[in-house]
Amino acid sequence: MEKTQKNRMKPYIWKLLLVLVLLAVPLIFSGSDYIMLIICIAMIYLVAVSGLDILFGYCGQISLGHAAFYAIGAYTSAILYNRFQIPMILAIIAGAVLGALVGAALAYPASNLVFHFLSLATVAFGEIVYQLLIHSPGKITGNFNGMFTDRMRIFGIELSTYKMFYYFMLVIAVVFIIGKIFLTKSRVGRAFTAIRDNSVAASGMGINVRKYKILSFATSAFYTAFAGGLYMFLACYVHPDQFMQKQSVMFLTMLLFGGTGSVIGPIIGVLAVTTINESLRFLEEYQMLIYGILLLIVILAMPGGIAGTVKKIYWAAKRKFSRVSQEG
Amino acid sequence: MLLSANEITIQFGGLTAVDKVSIDIEENKITGLIGPNGAGKTTFFNSISGVLKPTEGHVTFLGKDITGKKPYQINELGISRTYQIINLFKKMTVLDNVMVGMHTRLKSGYFSSLLHLPGERREEKEAYEKAYQWLDFVGLKDRAREEAGNLSYGKQRLLEIVRGLASGPKLLLLDEPVAGMNTAEKLEFDQLLKRILKLGVTIFMIEHDVNLVMGVCDSIYVLEYGKLLAHGRPEEVQNDPEVIRAYLGGE
Repeated sequence: MEKTQKNRMKPYIWKLLLVLVLLAVPLIFSGSDYIMLIICIAMIYLVAVSGLDILFGYCGQISLGHAAFYAIGAYTSAILYNRFQIPMILAIIAGAVLGALVGAALAYPASNLVFHFLSLATVAFGEIVYQLLIHSPGKITGNFNGMFTDRMRIFGIELSTYKMFYYFMLVIAVVFIIGKIFLTKSRVGRAFTAIRDNSVAASGMGINVRKYKILSFATSAFYTAFAGGLYMFLACYVHPDQFMQKQSVMFLTMLLFGGTGSVIGPIIGVLAVTTINESLRFLEEYQMLIYGILLLIVILAMPGGIAGTVKKIYWAAKRKFSRVSQEG
Repeated sequence: MLLSANEITIQFGGLTAVDKVSIDIEENKITGLIGPNGAGKTTFFNSISGVLKPTEGHVTFLGKDITGKKPYQINELGISRTYQIINLFKKMTVLDNVMVGMHTRLKSGYFSSLLHLPGERREEKEAYEKAYQWLDFVGLKDRAREEAGNLSYGKQRLLEIVRGLASGPKLLLLDEPVAGMNTAEKLEFDQLLKRILKLGVTIFMIEHDVNLVMGVCDSIYVLEYGKLLAHGRPEEVQNDPEVIRAYLGGE
């Protein structure tokens, strides 16, 4: 009796502890503005990578062009805010909706493509968006000058410090992660996973494969474009070169390194890759090489990423333990 | 007739895999489709379930022409199937496989799923309970939380069947359902077929196991080289000289 009560309390204690740690982060790093900025960016990446996970981890569709959605979110929200004085949060949502629509429009013809051709198509898509950024009609994106905007402001309050932005981001990240959990554990999410596992059987079970591929693309693009909008109003400046292939590869590296098809995977991946990036700042020009090495490590040595590998070890240990205790 | 296939012809380039085959499937009966390897049985199945579009001919189901419809549309209309080579969602749990099977019976859309609205919660809870009932139907309830790929071959066959049943079909197509089953599972299988019939589901199956086919089928079609060789009740087919020739290779 006492034991079951203890077990029931356990998850709550962990959750409470997690909340406390998350709330305390700005206090721990209060000495360094720079570290707080990196943490804020990491949380934005978390939203973007969670979106990529919905597409790749759950639905099995590759994208090597997610930087394009990130760009669509950033530029759309900045243009709407700068030119039409639309409130920032609405501008971000509008950018994300546009990202979702573009994602759906891309997925409609691309949904027939098999894995490697889809990856080529998304590379091309990323390149097209980049070209549009640097040769935009009427220089609406500022072309090579980049784009400036103001610091994030919500309900009239300017998030003037990174600490304030952090708390704002905490709420946003939690909302997006809960959305991801709800979606992936629903009828729609099961359809995504069924397509990933076996699209022939999925179709045979009444799933309109094209429709669900489009839905997963649009959802994923919404997440990543939303993250782009957030980044815009955190950094207050973007340059087209931030949205090149390298950015897409970074998102994918974070996802694969952390582990696909889970909540925790993207969190671990973003933290790990950000930490590696920051500690190897002096090797910045070799960043693509670092991503390459990380991807090779994952693909060759630990498919399933850090999260998948830890899980595997845990289950193996548990099996071994239960066998030992049975024998004993 | 529940389903009628009328002069179905399927060609791949110059090769005619199925040649003007007509069959009728009666409601609440078990119809068998047999024939030597390469006779075109699975190809014919694929033309009914929408995987292949027949080159010529029509398939009518419940009075509606379903020729050329997509697999997911045909499943929605009430035809479910299993595959010769097992086509489970191997990385998903046994339970989730059945719940994917219920896809067309569930109504929750994208936004009610994303927001986890009360209606969606209720439906998911009901679906979850119903899925357990389905697993109980084939004795897989204890394995609900395992990955489908971990089940034995025979159990995977059972799961594939119950996943098909979960979509609430009028007609279930089984492609070699006992292949890979052990003797005990095979012996129980004709009982399972009878329990499926009791649910009001008609069965059309390809099977090589002659004892099973002769024992349970109400009507049997025999294919050879893509052509219909014989049709009739089991004892008629069994004594048909053409069928004996095709199977034993006599002159």
